[in-house]
Amino acid sequence: MYHITDEQIDFILNDIRRNGVEIEDLQLNLLDHLCCIIENELEENGDFEQFYFQTIKKFYKKELREIEEETQSLLTYKNYYVMKKVMIISGAISAGLLSLGIFFKFMHWPGAAMGIVLGISILSFIFLPLMFVLKSKEKKEVRDKILIALGTLSAITISLAILFKVMHWPGANMMAVSALLMMLLLFLPIYFFNGIRNPETKLNTIVSSVLILAGCGLFLTLVRTPTGSRKMFVELTRDYIANEELLQYEKGFQLPVNNSSKFSQNYNDGKRIDLLCEELKRFIIKTETGVEKLDMDFESKETWLGDSRILTYIEEDQTASTQWSDLKTAIKDYNKLNASTSIGGEKPLQITSLILNFKDCKTTEALNSLIQIQHFVLQNERIIASLK
Amino acid sequence: MKFINLIYSDLDIFIIQKTSIHKNPMYICVRYLILNTMIYSSELIKGTLKTIILKLLKDNKRMYGYEITQRVKELTDGKIQLTEGALYPSLHALEADGILTTESEYNGKRIRKYYSLSKQGKTLTNEKISEFADFMNTMKFLLDIKTDVA
Repeated sequence: MYHITDEQIDFILNDIRRNGVEIEDLQLNLLDHLCCIIENELEENGDFEQFYFQTIKKFYKKELREIEEETQSLLTYKNYYVMKKVMIISGAISAGLLSLGIFFKFMHWPGAAMGIVLGISILSFIFLPLMFVLKSKEKKEVRDKILIALGTLSAITISLAILFKVMHWPGANMMAVSALLMMLLLFLPIYFFNGIRNPETKLNTIVSSVLILAGCGLFLTLVRTPTGSRKMFVELTRDYIANEELLQYEKGFQLPVNNSSKFSQNYNDGKRIDLLCEELKRFIIKTETGVEKLDMDFESKETWLGDSRILTYIEEDQTASTQWSDLKTAIKDYNKLNASTSIGGEKPLQITSLILNFKDCKTTEALNSLIQIQHFVLQNERIIASLK
Repeated sequence: MKFINLIYSDLDIFIIQKTSIHKNPMYICVRYLILNTMIYSSELIKGTLKTIILKLLKDNKRMYGYEITQRVKELTDGKIQLTEGALYPSLHALEADGILTTESEYNGKRIRKYYSLSKQGKTLTNEKISEFADFMNTMKFLLDIKTDVA
């Protein structure tokens, strides 16, 4: 019986590791196995190294790594068929839900958002990851696996970016940009230069690359450029400031109103609405730009109004949401009161404005809408005052 | 004239060809194949490896890898030789599935891992064996194998 020294054990262990066996348990099992064979079959004064290499050759067909790979694949893919089934079912469900959601959206039926959110979520969190796991299993080379990983990652990010965009959740633009960058700068070059070398895949690679480029191009065509956004924001802000100045100018021509007149209720209610509008405008500007008041030099200060939705702003602030509901009730009461009032045979104007019916509008739309409400009030005050 | 050819093949198979040739153009050729060792192909073993491991562990309580290969060789007169490349992946997978439990024994720098059946493994062993018995009967019928030959 051959006696194995500690150095020889280290030698075997190193050799096993170097040849691609990474699971520690497996290393130790193979080590013990090899030691047993050597101890039992090698003569006492035999050549250790020669016998070792001869023995380990019987463990594999091409490389020792095969044992590691076989173990890994048995451990990881024991649920291979279940995964495949889940992938197909989840793919079908997400495609169905998404189509149904879009159909509902166009028909303006309730439940559209749920279908779209669920469809995209299932697509990005179940179908695409499973597809990556199963597809990458089919590929042997590391480069192919990386390619599939990159492709899947950008697909997931793009679909989530679109979901975030339609749901008005924050971070959508950043996600879309990073997904497109990943697709165009990482995935496409690797894919193209990998596939073009092989005569068999050359044509397919070129066609697919053109399709990817065209797809990304079409996507980007729909996206507003940062310069374009800035220009639009500046124009909209300027528009708002002009409206605001006009309102203040008009207010300067206000005629004095006798508080004891029989229309004092209409007058006071109108004043209250005007005050609430002012408060809400100040709140929106402060939250959006960080400054209290916008002047014409806003462009140099970079304090223009963006296209955030006021809904989230108002809901997150206790005072603002109270003011918002107060304004709505006040306008309702004011309109009711005015409907039953006749001033010299003339009826005061009924307030209608975008923000009252569509709370989820953008900042500039909301600000202009509030100004419109103030104009209504102002006009009604004039009607009351002119009677005197 | 009679002569015997002795051919020693790679597969450790001794083939003794016993050929009789007469003067007339017709000659009778009788070949006796004496198979010293017949090793079953790996495809055949692949499907039954789990069952073999489970049955051995059922009979022997706990075993380590090398012991399993030696025991199988011994029991089958060398007709079944488990390869390390098939045995260890299966052992690790069975352990991960909770069918086998392990104990490690330290001997200097070497660690020997003993495998034994878990409770779940014991039930599975019986299922696997009866499944295979049934399979054998079906194959016998399907391939039309006469019992005395088999």
